[in-house]
Amino acid sequence: MRVELANVGKRFGRVEALRGVTFELPAGSRTALIGPNGSGKSTLVRALLGMLRTGGEVRFDGAPAGDDRRELARRIAYVPQIAPRLAAPVRDVVRAVAGLRGVAWHTIAAVAADLGVDLDQLAARPFRALSGGQRQKVLAALALASSAELLLLDEPTASMDPRSRSAFFARVEALPSSVTILLCSHRLDEIRRLVDRVVVLTEGQVAWQGAAGAYLDDHAEAIVEVDAAGEPAAVWLREQGFVQGATGWWSRALPVAQRARLLGEITHRLDGTLRDVIARDVERLQPPGGGTAS
Amino acid sequence: MTLRAQIAVVARLDLAEVLRSRWLVFCLIVHAVLAAMFVLVGLRESGVVGFTGMGRALMSWSHALLFLLPLLALSATGQVVNTARDDGSLELLLANPVSRAGYFVGTSLVRMAALVLPLLVAMPAVALVGAGAFGQEVPWGFLLRGVAVSTALLLCFTAIGLWVSTLVRNQAKALMLTILLWAAGVALIDFGLIGLMLQWELPPQAVFALALLNPVQCARLALLSAAQPELSTFGPVGFYLANHIGPDGLFWLGIGWPLLLGLTAWVWSLGAFRRRDLV
Repeated sequence: MRVELANVGKRFGRVEALRGVTFELPAGSRTALIGPNGSGKSTLVRALLGMLRTGGEVRFDGAPAGDDRRELARRIAYVPQIAPRLAAPVRDVVRAVAGLRGVAWHTIAAVAADLGVDLDQLAARPFRALSGGQRQKVLAALALASSAELLLLDEPTASMDPRSRSAFFARVEALPSSVTILLCSHRLDEIRRLVDRVVVLTEGQVAWQGAAGAYLDDHAEAIVEVDAAGEPAAVWLREQGFVQGATGWWSRALPVAQRARLLGEITHRLDGTLRDVIARDVERLQPPGGGTAS
Repeated sequence: MTLRAQIAVVARLDLAEVLRSRWLVFCLIVHAVLAAMFVLVGLRESGVVGFTGMGRALMSWSHALLFLLPLLALSATGQVVNTARDDGSLELLLANPVSRAGYFVGTSLVRMAALVLPLLVAMPAVALVGAGAFGQEVPWGFLLRGVAVSTALLLCFTAIGLWVSTLVRNQAKALMLTILLWAAGVALIDFGLIGLMLQWELPPQAVFALALLNPVQCARLALLSAAQPELSTFGPVGFYLANHIGPDGLFWLGIGWPLLLGLTAWVWSLGAFRRRDLV
């Protein structure tokens, strides 16, 4: 499904939540929508879901959304960041959505099982009694099983454990290439694995949009932590810009592109004194030079 | 999926909410306790506005319900839509192929049923238990009249509660407004209005009109319409109307006006729900 937003605006009283938002999601594209809290990401997703009246124009496959959104809703699936605490049993919630979307229980159960949730076992439990992670997995399973043409994912793995997140990634990657995805996320691993484009919202406006690789080059940073013994190792690590923490570990932040080279040097230079080394990616909120490119 | 099927889906999910919050049980207990009290205390050899025995007990109970039912209805529905909006359940459900009308109708039906069914069960049950225990004859005519009037009043305030929950986003403000509406409903019957008339020198026509706009007052007059009109029991508005439109007119006014008011509030809420931002 192709989605076009043209000059979309939304005001809540004095607060202008969206201002002239214009971008396009080509059919089959996978886009991350990122920005700080209050930047308008959720408002934009809700506008796409038809829950907010907005200014400007939103078109789906070239046609305006219109007032009756039922047919459109069938083609869109949504995973909220925080799952509601419904009192109905899991069975009723799943059957309700399955019935509305014409999806079989066993199809949803298979996806849920993949994500680490046994729907049959949880069927009689109130949806609200599930843990946050279980609720999110059930909702993710409902969305992934729905054969929707547009997936709106709002921090979909925020409450999931690592194994389930990995399974979720695999499921999303296995979706047909025609499925358009809009992902609200701050997680670099999600951006790296799931999307090819990034749209940055700041104060309700599109501050930057472009290829995911370019965004990651600007924002992804690696933290390398080293546990090594002896003064020669300490001298070398200090020369390389490492700082020693209270636990005795040395750490340094550097662009992701330089990580592999540094790790190679560490294993070579600290041979015999190296006890452990850890590298992890984090998001640098402010890119070098401040602000965002456009 | 048809609108009827959408309504059924929404109703099933909302019924779980109602059962979890135990409104059905709560309403039944309230009705039963009140009824038991009036049956036990009321079955003595005395008369109230021409009623004796079981009729008197039912009359007293119905009158108590007139003040209680609006409170039950408003507290059960005054925060339905805004709570669903805040906790994300509205967003989740309407992200699926459910029309806004389907959601609103489904929720309304469940809430109305949850409030009316306990009444429909409790009233005849009380009459039958009272009749069996005390050997009294059940005044079926008055019982049906009481059920009809109470149901109309309940539906009216259920719709008003839904109207509040749709139009007032803030839950605390919605709660405050429901309490104010209830207080206005039970306070501004014509005895209260006469006080206002004397205090502020309001014209009698204005007092009559205000009294008739109050669905609680209309329901009260409809219940009393089975008795001989007396100024001391009917109040000035009721006494005037009873002598002009007769007992039947009073009865149908007491059913028709609350239903019309409720229908207006419900249609208004539905329109607002379909047009406004949902989150």
